[in-house]
Amino acid sequence: MKPENEKYSKVLNILRNSRPLLDSTQDIEREVINKIARAQQNKLSFSEAVDFLFGWVYIGWVRRSLITASVCLIFVFVFQQGIILKRIDMLSRQTIVTDKENLLTPATEIERLLTEYRNTGRRFPSKTTTITEREMQELLEYVNELKIKYKELENIIEGDPELKKLIEKKLIDNNRIKTNL
Amino acid sequence: MKRKSVKLIVLLILMLIVSCNEPETIVTDYVHPDGSVTRKIEMKSIEGDVMKRFKISDIQVPFDSTWAVKDSIELDKKGDTIWVRRAEKEFKNIVEINMAYKADSGANKKIPRQAGFRKRFKWFNTEFRFSERIDKELSFGYPVKDFLNSEELLYFYSPEKLKENKENGPDSLKFRALSDSVKHKTEKWTERNLVSEWIGEFSKLSAGKTGNDMTIESLKAREDEFVKIVEKNDKKLDSLWKNGIILKEFIGEANALKYKTEADSALSLVTSNIWIDFHDYSVRIVMPGKLIGTNGFIDSSQVLLWPVKSDFFLTEPYEMWAESKIPNRWAWFLSGLFLVFVLTGVIMRVIKKG
Repeated sequence: MKPENEKYSKVLNILRNSRPLLDSTQDIEREVINKIARAQQNKLSFSEAVDFLFGWVYIGWVRRSLITASVCLIFVFVFQQGIILKRIDMLSRQTIVTDKENLLTPATEIERLLTEYRNTGRRFPSKTTTITEREMQELLEYVNELKIKYKELENIIEGDPELKKLIEKKLIDNNRIKTNL
Repeated sequence: MKRKSVKLIVLLILMLIVSCNEPETIVTDYVHPDGSVTRKIEMKSIEGDVMKRFKISDIQVPFDSTWAVKDSIELDKKGDTIWVRRAEKEFKNIVEINMAYKADSGANKKIPRQAGFRKRFKWFNTEFRFSERIDKELSFGYPVKDFLNSEELLYFYSPEKLKENKENGPDSLKFRALSDSVKHKTEKWTERNLVSEWIGEFSKLSAGKTGNDMTIESLKAREDEFVKIVEKNDKKLDSLWKNGIILKEFIGEANALKYKTEADSALSLVTSNIWIDFHDYSVRIVMPGKLIGTNGFIDSSQVLLWPVKSDFFLTEPYEMWAESKIPNRWAWFLSGLFLVFVLTGVIMRVIKKG
């Protein structure tokens, strides 16, 4: 214990003998006062902001007006949505599904899908497909082109009985039937 | 006056329609939030002759060379070839559509039609209304709803193919009975309109003539009596009218002789007004946002459909309308923020008071 006490006394002596030189104690005092004042000032500005934002709650007519406006807003929202929901409900009850029967009846499933695509303004939900609008447009053009060429081919075959017989024989040989495009 | 002549006229009109080769036409209006409309016309023709196919004068709606056109050959259910023309045009607003209707040189150019668009900002939502309207043809006719009940009315305004399907579907007996009932009642409606319109036109033509004691009110008071005479003599109406017998029963011998010309003119005017030269087509409307109201038929993809037939706008204007809404998300956010602000203020006050 003794050596430790000695060490402590030595450090204490060194520190006592090497005190900082204080040129002006007044400066230090001012600095301390400023820091305390600044800390108080910060606290004041926050409460001021809160008072500024919510000061209206202490002014009767402003408070009443804002509460009335809020109630009106809620009322308008509930009223509007209520009417809309009621109308949508009525609509769903009076709905008659026509199954697009007035539209052209496509020959194939692909064509049905293409027709549907055309009729919905050439839009489809992006989640359900990765095909771009441009690719779809190209596909539509190819299908139309293919159909025209198929029709021309059919006309050529119809106009040539020998060719028709040959094709029919080939179809029977290959156990296939003519595709309806 | 009727039945025989009516049948003859209808037959003639049907023959005219068949000979016209008009395509089966469906008009689709894609309405955009800014009021612009993309109009697409789908025309289907079985006419093989390219010169006769899709002639502008045969088409039921305004169409000209300014439209983007795409032709294709397709096969129908039976596998028969049909020629399809799809035309598309952007209209900046309904004014342009109405101008196109006014300048129409197609099959229905005589029938004035107009489109309407309304956009209403309602803070939480913006509502849209789009309509296509055809004004009524008869001035003195009776609304068809006075003759049909709600079920019959719905059937009356239904698309033809829907009617066909119902009449050949599982409840065919019920729908055939409904169809017969509608047919019978609409015949009565036509007869009533014929008499009523004739009274109106005859009164106008004979008004102001010296010694004329027949007013529209006095003739109207005897309308039921006139309708009964028409119904009773429906099979020989033509000859009875030509011989002046019906007119004598209507207005008395002296007046029948005196106003024969006016009566004949009124009748020819009425028949031309009732049996209008109109070529049927279908209208489809696709609205922006969520659909909230319509008087059309809706399919599974929320596309609206209306058949357009002359009977529909005979005695009442035929308006095909649809309403939709788009929610204003920014208004919802602002309103929510405002409510939170007011609520916080009120809670703070309560806490401070407490």
